Amino acid sequence: MTAPSPTASATSATSTTSASPGSMAEFDATTSRWGRLTMLAGLVFSLAGPLYLVFFADLGVTATALFTAFAAVAGTFFVIWIIEPITYFPILGPASMYQAFMIGNISNKLLPSALIAQARIGAKPGTHRGGLAAVMAICGAAFVHLLSLLVFVGILGTWLISVIPESVTDVVRVYVLPAVLGAVIIQAIVSLKQVRATAVAAVVAALVQFVLVPLVPALGMAATAISVIVTLVIGWYVRKREPFEPAVSASGTAEPGDSASA
Amino acid sequence: MISAASAAAAPAADPNGVLALANMPVLWICALGVFLVIAVQSVIYMMAARKAAPAAGLSQQELKTTFRTGAIAAIGPSLAVVLVAVALLALFGTPATLVRIGLIGSVQYETAAASIAAGTVGAELGGPSYDQQAFAIMFFAMSLGGAMWMLATLILTPLLKKGEHRMAKVNPALMTVVPAAALLGAFLSLGFAEVPKSSVHLITLAASALVMGVCLLLARLPGMRWLREWGLGIAILLGLAAAYLAQSAGLAPAA
Repeated sequence: MTAPSPTASATSATSTTSASPGSMAEFDATTSRWGRLTMLAGLVFSLAGPLYLVFFADLGVTATALFTAFAAVAGTFFVIWIIEPITYFPILGPASMYQAFMIGNISNKLLPSALIAQARIGAKPGTHRGGLAAVMAICGAAFVHLLSLLVFVGILGTWLISVIPESVTDVVRVYVLPAVLGAVIIQAIVSLKQVRATAVAAVVAALVQFVLVPLVPALGMAATAISVIVTLVIGWYVRKREPFEPAVSASGTAEPGDSASA
Repeated sequence: MISAASAAAAPAADPNGVLALANMPVLWICALGVFLVIAVQSVIYMMAARKAAPAAGLSQQELKTTFRTGAIAAIGPSLAVVLVAVALLALFGTPATLVRIGLIGSVQYETAAASIAAGTVGAELGGPSYDQQAFAIMFFAMSLGGAMWMLATLILTPLLKKGEHRMAKVNPALMTVVPAAALLGAFLSLGFAEVPKSSVHLITLAASALVMGVCLLLARLPGMRWLREWGLGIAILLGLAAAYLAQSAGLAPAA
């Protein structure tokens, strides 16, 4: 192995060398074990409802009808099922993956929360500080989200339907995405302070969305994944190379530099 | 087991008995189960984060700050999701709306999946052909679709993690450059995808971006730091207000 420094290798390889209580290795182990178990539990609960209706509600639903319906959904979305986890992994990191894909509304709620929290304490995405900040921010977001869903949809929902004018809910339904994304783009540009990556991302995303997708509409669903991958590759080649890159590199995985701000 | 709705007299607002079926207690229990699982997961993660914080150079105070910041930043988006969910209650009933729209999936994906699935049995969401059977088939298809997402996450995350470790060893700078580039690429691409939809989408996007820019500038002033957390909520609200005005002004066909 050609690990550039002892600190860098400490993170990846190590339950033996640094598994003292409270190490990042232990955090990794706990979150991947419990993250997976809770996600499986969530998966079971989310399927239990419809399965109950299909098998016990005596509605005369045929297996063929179920298969046809699922096949239609799968035909439209199976690319996204695989692409989305890959797209968000570099941003979220392994621990938050199990949170994000169960809590849902990733791009319009969880990523903005994580980003703003990281900016708040000056932690960079991809570092341990950034990773923990994202985990805590997603927990905070989940707390607010569960509470507001239970109260406003679960308990007050039917009453709210009767008082909120339809014109308002319609506008929210249609325009919620641009309303969130406009703000989040600015937040990301300001807090990441990556001029080159921003420029690359802007050009790539514009080319993909305004040139490639209109030419090849079938790529529409994969457009964001394409933008992310191309931005990654070009961003990597045009990155600002510090003369002392090895030191910066070490901070990427074990962040002595990052902890200076703590 | 007899169909729940055939026993209860279907109210006028629910001609096919879909809502009577969709609001059955069993479905409520399953929905609350998902809530509980997420709550338990959050607690486990927070305990793990608290323990690991010193090793990552994070103070206990910063842990609290990030939790609070994440919570406040989520208020705007959460309320937006709530409004959309309320609008869909009449179609899916409360438990399915809570789980599919509120959690796990997202508005765009779930409504698309629902109408595709309903279409395969010749039903149109909310139309006269949308009956209990159509609801069950649709709910099944969208739930199984959502489960595939989680399945992909369960399978791919360990693989990607191995790849990440390998790349980190080859060149650790990857781990600082990649997430930032991925984040920027993802948000700019998602944002630009809204532009061709209509001029109101563009106005909404621009208004929200402008408000956020102003919030972040003002947040540099002493005493205005709270805007760093509340900025997103304010920007979403004013962005939607701009959308409402632009649409009322006739810039786009009614939603």
